[in-house]
Amino acid sequence: MSLMRVVVFIAYLAVCAALVGIMESGAADVFLEATRPDFQKIPIGVLGFQGKTAVDGSAGQVADILKADLRRSQIFSVADLPKLGIKVSDVDGAEKALFKQATENGISVLVWGKLGVKEADVVLDGYVYDGGEDEVVAGKRYVGPSSVVRLMVHRLADEIVFRYTGEPGIARTKIAYVSEQAGARELYVMDYDGYAPRQVTADGFLNLMPRWSPDRRFLVFTVYRSRLTQDIDMIELATGKRLTLVSLGGLNITPAFSPDGNDLVFATSQDGNSELYKLDTRTKVLQRLTNNSAGDLSPSWSPTGREMAFTSDRGGGPQIYLMSADGSNVRRLTFAGDYNAAPAWSPRGTWIAHVCRTQKREYKLCLISPDGQQSRQITTGPGVDDSPSWSPDGRHLVFSSTLEGKSHIYMINWDGTELERLTSGGIHHSSPSWSPL
Amino acid sequence: MYTRYVTACLMGAVGLMLLIGPACSKKEIQSTSGSKSSEQAMAKGAGKGSTSGRTEPGISEQDLLKQGKDPSAEGDIKVAKIQPSDATGRLAEDMRREQAATAAAGLKDVFFAYDSWNITEQARQALSADAEWIKANPTILLKVEGHCDERGTQAYNLVLGEKRAKAVRNYLAELGVGANRLAVVSYGKERPFCQEHDESCYQQNRRGHIVVRPK
Repeated sequence: MSLMRVVVFIAYLAVCAALVGIMESGAADVFLEATRPDFQKIPIGVLGFQGKTAVDGSAGQVADILKADLRRSQIFSVADLPKLGIKVSDVDGAEKALFKQATENGISVLVWGKLGVKEADVVLDGYVYDGGEDEVVAGKRYVGPSSVVRLMVHRLADEIVFRYTGEPGIARTKIAYVSEQAGARELYVMDYDGYAPRQVTADGFLNLMPRWSPDRRFLVFTVYRSRLTQDIDMIELATGKRLTLVSLGGLNITPAFSPDGNDLVFATSQDGNSELYKLDTRTKVLQRLTNNSAGDLSPSWSPTGREMAFTSDRGGGPQIYLMSADGSNVRRLTFAGDYNAAPAWSPRGTWIAHVCRTQKREYKLCLISPDGQQSRQITTGPGVDDSPSWSPDGRHLVFSSTLEGKSHIYMINWDGTELERLTSGGIHHSSPSWSPL
Repeated sequence: MYTRYVTACLMGAVGLMLLIGPACSKKEIQSTSGSKSSEQAMAKGAGKGSTSGRTEPGISEQDLLKQGKDPSAEGDIKVAKIQPSDATGRLAEDMRREQAATAAAGLKDVFFAYDSWNITEQARQALSADAEWIKANPTILLKVEGHCDERGTQAYNLVLGEKRAKAVRNYLAELGVGANRLAVVSYGKERPFCQEHDESCYQQNRRGHIVVRPK
């Protein structure tokens, strides 16, 4: 192959990339926008996971997990098959008749499978039938120990979401958070649906504000070490290895990695009041971003990494401001109400979620567009809502709330629908952060 | 329109892959192993870029059933078992000694109004009494903790707590207590004194808490 051919291909790819880039700049139109009001959810039916060597009780569980994952994607409306008279008890061999029945009832997509055992492992087979194409369009087999059955089902759900949206599903993502045990607040990680909480730190005092690195390998957080200093540590989840990244005087809080993982922005009060600094994680160079007598904190990067939102009380009370990644071009974003804080920039770039204080002095969740033109309140009712964090698909938020008395972690759709509690029991859960994909 | 562009770009990508294929162990383009390698590609958490090559219109997956690898080895976020440290034992002991020393000193805490770090008249009286004790015990080191009620955000309450603690330190300094004897820490709403959701509990938590640091 000649150099000329290589050059031509590379040039062609560059043109393609530029074209795609141009298309993507009109981002709201290009995505399969589940947030458009006229978006029709795809009717999907989960037929069941029986099999000749079915594992007791688990088949129904698998179906339930899958249905919940599909519902949460907001792409599908999960049909109640028994209600439509479609028997789901024995799929094996009866598929064609079931397909016909389902499509006659307006269901476009069917999922079913087999759950079995092979030596010490569980085998999960999943199939997807598409009514429009009238064929089985996908089949996956997952083999593994029974301890990872939930993960297998999440993968199947993500596979299905990918097929119909072109975007990976979020069922396999995790949520880092803080939970209180025996007077200490430690870091935990749980599945996105609240299952399998795993303790990450055991420092015995107070750890706060975990945030994920973009490669999902690390959490950065504030640690109250020796109860006199508040440092920012980083922990490698797979090994438990720790590293102190920031140990300046005063409070060192609200760390946030840039989308490319190269920079860490955080707030420190070493100068007397809280200021934002940026640490280049490779060169260790520290750059000061804000310089005033007010409190600046809670940075949240835009998905492009060119800008960030943050909280500042330079105008009196806390409000949300925007600035470029180098600290220039600071401008105020929120003007409604006298308390707006804890900004979280959506991965889609279109909304910044934040805590807003209403006229009745309730602390709720609000959305504001980055140009400040549109805003809405998405939670109502009792309790203090705090610490919103976006799912990587930009369709959900996780946050803490005292709406049921104790502080728990909840998931909600971006538009305020489908509130779902993720934590249960315990004393106090807060500070959630949704992992990247 | 969009899908046409994407398909065109992918055909270009396919061409380039075939061109440089032998040199890189690349992922997704051979359709027979499409689903297996895509399983791996997705599992590496590589995100949109790697999965987008698999199932675009025009590229069909013929071989549907593939042996997945052990899912626990791929893509799941693993959390190492925590090593309980003996630091927690020492910490509990330190806190006990601190609480005992503080109780023995009988220092009064000061309380703040909603959203405020202003030292009220009542607070001034409490701090005047505290200042006398502190000046009479010149070798003792202290810590001022700033606390908030549960309303407001976790992060901004840390800043508010710090303002409260510094306001207490500054006022004590005005009364002649050396500021270098007074460390300042903010707990925001993270270590409240009571858990109820009524105003009397909120008032208890909006506090500057003075602590004796034992030697």
